Amino acid sequence: MLFRLAPGDPVARMVDPMWTPEEVEYVMSQLGLDQPIWTQYLFYLKNFFSGNFGVSFHYGEPVHEIIWKRLPNTILLFTTSTILAALAGVFFGKIAAWRKGSKSDTWMTISALVCHTLFVPWFALMLVWILGYKVGWFPLNGIISPEIWVDESSGFLVKALDVLHHMLLPLMTLFVVQMGSYLLLMRSSMLGTLKEDYIVTARAKGLSEKVIRNHHAARNAALPVITSIGLSLAFSINGGALTETVFTWPGIGKELVFAVSNNDYPLAQACFLLIAAVVLTANLIVDVLYAYLDPRIRY
Amino acid sequence: MTLISVENLCVSYQTKNGVLNAVDDISFLLEEGRSLGFVGESGCGKTTVGMALMGLLPENGAVTQGRILYQDRDLIQLSDEAMREIRWNEIAMIFQAAMNALNPVHRVHEQVREAIVTHQPGISKEDLNRQVQALFDLVEIPRDRMQDFPHQFSGGMKQRAVIAMALACSPKLVIADEPTTALDVIVQDQILQEIKIIQNRMNISVIFISHDIAVVADVCHDIAVMYAGQIVEFGSREEVFNTPIHPYTKLLLSSYLTLDGDKPAPLAVSGRAPNLINPPSGCRFYEQCPHASPACENRAPEYHQATPTHRALCDITE
Amino acid sequence: MDTPSERIYLFNRLAKGWAVFRENLMGKIGLTLMIIFALMALASFFTPFLNPMYDPMTGVDPEISHATGPSLRHWLGTDFIGRDIFTQLLEGAKIAFMVGLSAAFISIVLGTIVGMFSGYMGGVVDTLLMRLADMIMVMPSLLILLLLSALFGQLNIWLIVLLIALLRWPGVSRVIRAQTLTLKQRPFIEAAKVAGASHLRVIFRHIMPNVLPLSFLYMTFRVTSAILVEAALAFLGFGDPSQVSWGMMLQWVWKTGHMFQAPYWLLPPGICISLLTLSFYMLGRAMDEVLDPRLRKEEHSD
Repeated sequence: MLFRLAPGDPVARMVDPMWTPEEVEYVMSQLGLDQPIWTQYLFYLKNFFSGNFGVSFHYGEPVHEIIWKRLPNTILLFTTSTILAALAGVFFGKIAAWRKGSKSDTWMTISALVCHTLFVPWFALMLVWILGYKVGWFPLNGIISPEIWVDESSGFLVKALDVLHHMLLPLMTLFVVQMGSYLLLMRSSMLGTLKEDYIVTARAKGLSEKVIRNHHAARNAALPVITSIGLSLAFSINGGALTETVFTWPGIGKELVFAVSNNDYPLAQACFLLIAAVVLTANLIVDVLYAYLDPRIRY
Repeated sequence: MTLISVENLCVSYQTKNGVLNAVDDISFLLEEGRSLGFVGESGCGKTTVGMALMGLLPENGAVTQGRILYQDRDLIQLSDEAMREIRWNEIAMIFQAAMNALNPVHRVHEQVREAIVTHQPGISKEDLNRQVQALFDLVEIPRDRMQDFPHQFSGGMKQRAVIAMALACSPKLVIADEPTTALDVIVQDQILQEIKIIQNRMNISVIFISHDIAVVADVCHDIAVMYAGQIVEFGSREEVFNTPIHPYTKLLLSSYLTLDGDKPAPLAVSGRAPNLINPPSGCRFYEQCPHASPACENRAPEYHQATPTHRALCDITE
Repeated sequence: MDTPSERIYLFNRLAKGWAVFRENLMGKIGLTLMIIFALMALASFFTPFLNPMYDPMTGVDPEISHATGPSLRHWLGTDFIGRDIFTQLLEGAKIAFMVGLSAAFISIVLGTIVGMFSGYMGGVVDTLLMRLADMIMVMPSLLILLLLSALFGQLNIWLIVLLIALLRWPGVSRVIRAQTLTLKQRPFIEAAKVAGASHLRVIFRHIMPNVLPLSFLYMTFRVTSAILVEAALAFLGFGDPSQVSWGMMLQWVWKTGHMFQAPYWLLPPGICISLLTLSFYMLGRAMDEVLDPRLRKEEHSD
């Protein structure tokens, strides 16, 4: 709704200069732009609660249909990278903390810091430039190669591999960026756990160092990392939107940036609301998950 | 038969301000089946002795001198692997349960089970279950509570679970570090009685570490009073109680006897314990000692042997 | 404990902290990098006087009107309309410092004040402020800025700074609140209250000096995120068009399709952004290691 106060006339972008004024009028009334602002707002509220986000100015399609098409791509990219990054971060953070002060710890920590403070779009561009353009291992952008999908004979596996091939670079970008922060968090959490009394108990019991590390220390230390997945989601979503944009990965993040650039208010708004809803639900899920994993707060 | 004999043990910690000699030239013997109590205020080095026996000194700590002979093997010389075999199998430890000695994310019985499985890798499942159940029966924890997590236990139950854990591999020596601190008096008494009964029944040697001389007197045959990293008095319970020699012991006893046994009054020591980074050359108790003579300030005291089993680190003996 | 002696105490603590800090590898790397960038930012004031073509925004080399590689005349080459890239890089350093430091400063001032009030007042005030903080904290700030710029058109650089600050205070306020809660229990606060000090006086005279070291520690982390958000915004084409920032430079490389042809143009701004944010972050972590145990120890020794 706020978007209607914004500058830039969306109709001017949509309409063909060759159209007659009557045709423009018709399009305006179809989109509801000829009504007074408050009527538009009432309509909007009614539509909003019935799950109708309106029609995209740019695509001329209902917004929710566009979103339904984009959402799976984002989920695919984002959940894969988050899970992989969290696993790798926990693993390396554990090792780094265990070998605190050693050379490998120093290197891991510094690399994690570099990953964490990396400027995402630039890193993405570097990957495209080196691995996509110079070496030519990966496609430069997009999610599919049209010639494969047009070809009737290509089976499911071929198509899946094609998507995977396109996904690797964006996946790598998001993975590197997210892994840094998980590693740092796991490391400091694990260092705290290693000072606990139950670690001394475990040593006294004569357990092997590996069991102490994995079973007694890491298990506890990973709990805060899980909460942080929820909290750092905001940070990762920023990175996700940038990554999608650079790789023109047809997801929600790219669509949002695109919609904002083109004054496509209904689309931008719906994308943003969706992201906000996802962030809030994700935090809720993380809370529940945490309660499940930490027996102290199980009811 | 002598189970463990400690000779001239010195332990020091690297700290930011210099090398801290937490334990300075300590010697004692422990017979099989007997119990020995270490008493002293916090920072006197009693916990460090326990940790040194287990080979579990923190990273900045090290044994700088002396031997720990356990059944004629010097524990200090053992490799990490050999020491790991000794831990829990031969020497186990009862930690203070209030201090998070149990891992909060694992079930209690798993933590007991784990000790047995580590030291008897081939044990069958039925044997294992039977042993774990027997242990919980021994410390009187109902079987249906075995599956609980530590936070679901009361303080006393946690302490019992920690005891069960210590007994899991039937060790010959158990080191109990403040096992009843932070428990209320009645539970404290129950736990102490339990330790005594178990000790007698299983013929285990116990090293009991506490700041509370009343607790030590209740459980132990022998008492070692520690002050500033040294054993200032060593003797049987009766000797230390009836004919204390060292002024510090007398002070400890007087504060214990003034109240009717339940809780000792805070120590009436004036001044602070000496700095262990740069210990004074003379008697360490000099500044607080009511009987000090000028000679005590610069001359290190020597052990005065009152009876074959009773000695004190003081030159003034009436 | 009265205030002057507390100040001296604070000073001693900082002096001791510096001694520890100098031993810290990460702190040293961070500080060195930061000094280099600060010199670059300073240099940016002088380049236009050297030759008008070394003006980052308007200085076009009269003989060049397209992207060229590095030369003696243009150390890092020129961009698509013949502007000197090295000059732009220096200018970018200035903007990055400006954006980073001012956004971080505003956000920690806000965060500290909110945190102190929240912790000190407790009750409903505390609950409301912290719920608000939670809500803002989980929101992706870049996307919110994007939406706002769609709303208001191109944002002015200072407006961007302000908005970043407004979206970035919750983290600080949580930490300060926790610290305030422990401070509230300490005798000197009680003493000040008994002596008749007003709430405001207690907060600003007695609590604030004790939480400030922590605030400044968090400021370094905020600088990192502020620089990254501004750069990303500029990269997507929503920066202040009148300023040459590193993000803007990257946008030009990307949008004009030079990224595969002109590595001399693609590499420097990205490396600069990443290194400058890294330097602040490392500095923050080094300070964290120096300060934090002290703060914690103090809680116990009281």
